[in-house]
Amino acid sequence: MIISKDNMGALADAIGATQTVYVPGTERAATRFVAHKKGEPVVLGGANVRMPPKDLLFPATEKMYRWKKHEGQLSLETEAAAHEPFTVLGVRPCDMASVAKLDLVFLTKGFVDEFYQARRDAATFVAVTCVDPDGDCFCEAMGVRLDAAPAADVLLVDRGGAYEAKPQTEKGEAAVAAWAEALGAGADAAAGDAVEAHCTLNPAAAKAEERLRAEDFDNVWHSVADYCLTCGTCTFECPTCYCFDISQDVRADEGARFRCWDSCMFTQYTLMAGNHNPRADRASRVRQRFMHKLRYFADRYGEGLCVGCGRCIRDCPAGVDIAAIIDAVATAPEHELTEAARTVQADEAKKEAAHV
Amino acid sequence: MSELVLQHGCAKGGEPYVPQVCRVIDVRDQTHDVKTIRVQTPEGGLPFERKPGQLAMVSLPPYGECMFAIASQGPDYLEFVIKRVGFVTERLHELRPGDEVGVRGPYGNWFPFDSARGRNLVFVAGGIGMPPVRSFIEYALEHRADYGRIDIVYSASTYDDLVYKDDLFQNWPKEPDTHVHVSVYHATDGDGWSGKVGYTAPYLKEVFAEEGLATDNAAAVLCGGPSLYRTCREALLELGFDPADVVTTLEARMKCGVGKCGRCNVGGVFICLDGPVFTEAELARIPR
Repeated sequence: MIISKDNMGALADAIGATQTVYVPGTERAATRFVAHKKGEPVVLGGANVRMPPKDLLFPATEKMYRWKKHEGQLSLETEAAAHEPFTVLGVRPCDMASVAKLDLVFLTKGFVDEFYQARRDAATFVAVTCVDPDGDCFCEAMGVRLDAAPAADVLLVDRGGAYEAKPQTEKGEAAVAAWAEALGAGADAAAGDAVEAHCTLNPAAAKAEERLRAEDFDNVWHSVADYCLTCGTCTFECPTCYCFDISQDVRADEGARFRCWDSCMFTQYTLMAGNHNPRADRASRVRQRFMHKLRYFADRYGEGLCVGCGRCIRDCPAGVDIAAIIDAVATAPEHELTEAARTVQADEAKKEAAHV
Repeated sequence: MSELVLQHGCAKGGEPYVPQVCRVIDVRDQTHDVKTIRVQTPEGGLPFERKPGQLAMVSLPPYGECMFAIASQGPDYLEFVIKRVGFVTERLHELRPGDEVGVRGPYGNWFPFDSARGRNLVFVAGGIGMPPVRSFIEYALEHRADYGRIDIVYSASTYDDLVYKDDLFQNWPKEPDTHVHVSVYHATDGDGWSGKVGYTAPYLKEVFAEEGLATDNAAAVLCGGPSLYRTCREALLELGFDPADVVTTLEARMKCGVGKCGRCNVGGVFICLDGPVFTEAELARIPR
C-alpha cells in the first residue's frame, strides 16, 4: 500500500475515527507526540520530535493505587486497568528501538509491570523510515538502521512523495487492511525509490563498550562531572531512560501512590535513611549514567541502552556529548584495569588452568 | 564441601506494586531506637511465605514505604526489626497493635541455607545488620543437625544498641555447639556491659585465634554498615576464607522492589531482584 505524503492527515483522520492517534506536533512549548485533531495536517518528515514517545507507554506521572483510611482500617485499590487502544503515527527507528528496550525492562526478568503492559498491549506503533538525521544523530553506531524498525507494527517506507506501508505484526496487518478500506484510492499513490540516508556521527560504540568492561575511566567521568550540571534534562528527554520514583498524593485520610520519572543524576536518587549515599558525588552519578547506557544494560539484557537519537546532545545546557564521550573512551590511551575486571580475568585464567 | 549456590532473580510474579493490607499484632522495644513489629493479614494469617534473607516493602500511608529484610516468619505472622533512622521509620515506630499497614513481597533471593549444609557457620553482624543475618541463624538452629559449629560475632556501638539481647545472652549460648561473641565499640561505667570493647574486624580475628577456628569447611555470613562491611570483609579474607565462601546481604535505596525503578542498580544487577544476598566472589566481579 502506497500513501501519498499529502494524505497523512487523511490517514490520521481515518485511524482517529475509532481511537486516539498520536502524531508529531507541538504542545507545551515542545515538539512531541500529540493527540491528532480531525482535519489538521500531519507531517512525518523533518526534525525528530524533541520529546520521545516513551510517555505514551510510561507516563511522566502515573497513579498506581489509591488508599483510604477509615476508622483505623486501611483499604487499597489498584489503578491498573486495561487501556483504550491507540496508535502512534510517525515514530522514527531510533525511538522504535527504544520501545523494544523499554519492553525488556518492564516486561521481562521475573516481574511484568502491569501498568506498562496495559498501554503496550493497547498501542499500535507506526514507524517511519528516517530520511532527516540531524547533525547530532548517531543511531547507526548504536545498531539502529534508518530504514528499519523491527519493533513497529507498521513501517512506512519513505519513497519520495509517498510512503509505502509495510505491516510487520498481526496488529499491523489489521491496521493496514483497515487503512486501505478507509482511504480507498488514496492508498494507491505513485511511488519513487526508497530514500536512503545515513548519520554523520559515527562514534565507536562497540569499542567503547568493550573497554568500559575492562578499564577504569575515572578521569573521563571526573572531567565530564566538572561541567555537567546534573540537571537531569538528558534523562527526561532520553527515549530509553526509565528510572522512576514512587511517591504519594495525600488528602487527609485518603490519597494515591503514583510513580514519576526520576533521574540518576540527582543526589537524592540513591540517598538512604541515615544519610548514607553510595553516589553522593557528581562524578559517580555521571559514571552511573554512562556506564548504565553503554555497558550495564548490555550486561543485563544483552544490548546497550542508547539508541543514538541525539536528544541529550542537542538539549544539554552544559554541552555534555555522549557521542564524544563514546569516542573519548574508545580512543583513549590504555587505562588501568578495574579491580572487577582483574578479578574476572583471574577467574577465567583459573578456569582455563583447571581445564588443562 | 560443595560450592555455595546462590539463586539470583528468583522472586517472580505477583502483583508487584500494590501492597496487601496487614494488621500490626505486636510491637516491642528492642533498644532505645529499634522496635520489633509483627504483622499478619486482617484474617489472622501469614501474609506470604518467605525464605530466610528475603525482603519486603512495608508501606504506611500517608508517609511512604521502605524495604526491610524480613527478620523472622512465624506460623501466622512476619516480623520486622526496624531502627528509627528517617521519616518513615519514625512513623513506623508509632504503630500500635491493631493498626494497619501495607506489605508487599517477598522480594529478592535468600541465604544459601541448602548448599551450606554440613558446614560450620560464622555469622558476622554489626548493629542493625543483625536482623537479616538472624533469619539464617534462626533457620540453622531449627535445623541444628544439618550444620557444624556455629559462631556468631556481633557488635554494636554501645550495649544499648545490641538487638536481640535475649538471643545473644540467653537462648543462643544454650544451643549445642553454638558460640556467641559480642563486642561493643563504646562502653561507659554503669551501662551494664562488662564484656569486650572493640571494633568488629579485629575482634573477629581475635575470636578466630582464641577459639582456634578454621576456615575450611566453613561459610561466613556478613552484614553491617559500610565501614563494618569493608573491614570485616578484609578480615574474613585475611583469615583465609575463599571469597566464594563469604556471603553478604546488601542494602540500597529501593522503590519498586522488582528490578525496574533503577535505584539499586549496581553494574548489571539490581540488588532488590538479583540480591540482596551475594557471595564475595560474585561482588568482586561487579564494578563498584
